[in-house]
Amino acid sequence: MNAHIPTSSFWHRLRALITKEFNQIRRDKRLAISLIVAPTLQLLLFGFALDSTVSNLRLGILDESQTPESRELVATLTESKSFRVGGSFLEDRPLETAISRGEMDAGVVIPYQFARDLHRGRPTNIQFLLNAVNANTAAIGQGYAEGVLASYNRSLAVQWIHPQLRTVAVATSRKESVTLTPVFLFNPGLVTAWFIVSGTFGTLLVLNGSLVASTAMIKEREAGTVEQLLMTPAGTTEIVLAKITPLFLLLLGMVFLSFGLIRFVFGVPVRGSGLLVFGGAALCLLCGIGIGTFIATVTRSAQQAQLLSFFVNPPLAVLSGTLSPVEAMPQWLQPVTMFNPIYHFGVITRGAMIKGSTFAELWPNVVALVAFALVLMGLSMWRFRKQLG
Amino acid sequence: MFRRVFAQARKELTQIRRDRLALALVLVLPLLLLLLLSTAISLTVNDLPLVVQDLDSSAASRSYLDAFRASVTFRVVPWPTDRQPEGALEAGAARAALVIPAQFGHDLARGQTANVQLLIDATDANTAKLVSGYAGQITRAYVEQRTGGSMVAMVTAHIRLWFNPGRDSQKFYAPGIFVLGLSMFPPLLASLAMAKEGEQKTILQVYVSSISAHEFLLGKILAFMVIALAEWTLALAVLLSVFGLRLTGDPSAFLVATVLYAFCVATFGILIGAAIPNQAAAIQAVALGGFLLVFLLSGLIFPVENIPGGLRWISHLVWGRYYIAIVRDALLQGGGWPAMWVNVVMIALIGSVFYLLAWHTMRRMQVTA
Repeated sequence: MNAHIPTSSFWHRLRALITKEFNQIRRDKRLAISLIVAPTLQLLLFGFALDSTVSNLRLGILDESQTPESRELVATLTESKSFRVGGSFLEDRPLETAISRGEMDAGVVIPYQFARDLHRGRPTNIQFLLNAVNANTAAIGQGYAEGVLASYNRSLAVQWIHPQLRTVAVATSRKESVTLTPVFLFNPGLVTAWFIVSGTFGTLLVLNGSLVASTAMIKEREAGTVEQLLMTPAGTTEIVLAKITPLFLLLLGMVFLSFGLIRFVFGVPVRGSGLLVFGGAALCLLCGIGIGTFIATVTRSAQQAQLLSFFVNPPLAVLSGTLSPVEAMPQWLQPVTMFNPIYHFGVITRGAMIKGSTFAELWPNVVALVAFALVLMGLSMWRFRKQLG
Repeated sequence: MFRRVFAQARKELTQIRRDRLALALVLVLPLLLLLLLSTAISLTVNDLPLVVQDLDSSAASRSYLDAFRASVTFRVVPWPTDRQPEGALEAGAARAALVIPAQFGHDLARGQTANVQLLIDATDANTAKLVSGYAGQITRAYVEQRTGGSMVAMVTAHIRLWFNPGRDSQKFYAPGIFVLGLSMFPPLLASLAMAKEGEQKTILQVYVSSISAHEFLLGKILAFMVIALAEWTLALAVLLSVFGLRLTGDPSAFLVATVLYAFCVATFGILIGAAIPNQAAAIQAVALGGFLLVFLLSGLIFPVENIPGGLRWISHLVWGRYYIAIVRDALLQGGGWPAMWVNVVMIALIGSVFYLLAWHTMRRMQVTA
């Protein structure tokens, strides 16, 4: 279209249209809210409220032995932060009821002959009940309990309550054994929030980008001013570009705001290239704008566009590995995440910020993001131009 | 009075029946989300890529590695021996790297303790802890097997996992997502219907008609309760058939709580719609209240106890929290009334507060309209 017109007037018209869009956006208070309040609130809430740390599990104690040995076992179990004494019980029925009512998270039953067995040098058995309704808590709680018992056994061997234990102890110290030393790389303090906020970042960009874009794109149609726009000498490409440019610039502001929160409120380090994060964020924004524009072209009102986005956003947010690891999804579902820009941005952010990965390692994800941005933008521009024409 | 309440409810239901997008939103989408989210959200990982650097490569180290290969948690992936194992973690090729020292087999043969290092990518702290726990279990089992059980641990624990012995995370998350859907979509439609009355000024016709504010509100609430209960029935069928959950114990507390919860969420939607007479803004408000609060501050994914003190008090006001506990109890633990009566009372209380606020807002609307 209008190929014979010199390029200088193209830029001239584009600038005029962009100025118009900027003026319209400036007056929109709701947009400012969704660009400043929404990301801040979401990052802070997600980062502070979603904490998977398993600690202070309430342990109900049924000590039938009532001896120094059994009390020491209870003390060992509860001295770490994982378990705390939630209550003492005299019979097993009340303990079971307490666990099933959720008043206790776990229970330990120390049998009557516990100390006697130890003094005679006989292996003994305790019972450990865990409320496994929450699978994650149960898995970590079980790990804690087993670790605590292993160290209790070692301390028993050192103390040799019974002469026979001494032989066991001596045997243990000479026996072959393997110790496994875990080293936590990249996040030695095991801060859960780092994972959550670095994941939420991409979700924010794509979802808010699409919301803002769909509202902006549909406004002209709702107000019925599309015809006026078409009567101007501007071509459809110019109209679309003029709509997208200010949105993109505004959303970049949101990128800096979110990045600042992640960096300074949550203290996530930037060990690699910050440029990689910002580049990825820009591509993510384009993906979001593309999705929003597409939604706007298939709906008639802002309200309908928002309702339609309920069908798109939750799957995008969940199938991204941002809140829960991709490896925890069922096998058949894992490849689906590859088609999600949020997933690739999550890999880039976590790699470049926390792990210190470079472009050499992250290029496949960058390429994927570029491809998504191109496809989504192209598709939505094509739809939008078809509708205008 | 009841005749007018029912008439109002019937009018509302007829309007929704004609809106295909709204129907899909409340009857199809929650089921899809229930299936998708419950399957996808899980924190207990399997099949994690593990890089191994065996500097010993003796019979002993190989049999130790076999123990890792045999576990469902780890999947050993190849990594060039001349590259640092940390590189595999940086490149995202593996989540953990196991380094077996050169004298591993030698140490074991001499009856000494061999030190093995496990480098874990702690970007995801929760997974890192699980990995460390699993690897410890594998190592302990290996040592036990090697020593032929001659070195018996003095105290052993019989660990019993109650209510969910398979540690199946779907059984934990599916009831939560079920509640999330109920807290989201019926109030969404309710707020839209109410905001529409304000936006299109049809509320004025209501004021001049003989219907009282209570009748009008109750009629609308009743309609959206019907919708919430329809969604509840379909979603519960999915829970029971797909996720293998069963009703345990006395379901009467669950049923009473369900009706109260339907009232609570419908009233919440009506309240938002009355307070914000703009459809697009009302959607955002419900999304914030229904989704963010119920998703984040209700113990849906992570325990409520982990929420820091400054935010935790809010979770006491989040209606979804109480209903999630009730649904989990009814489908997994079977505690019934003695365990859950407080939650039922809380839902009724929050629902009544919503109703009073909605009534108050409506009377104010009359002045401004």
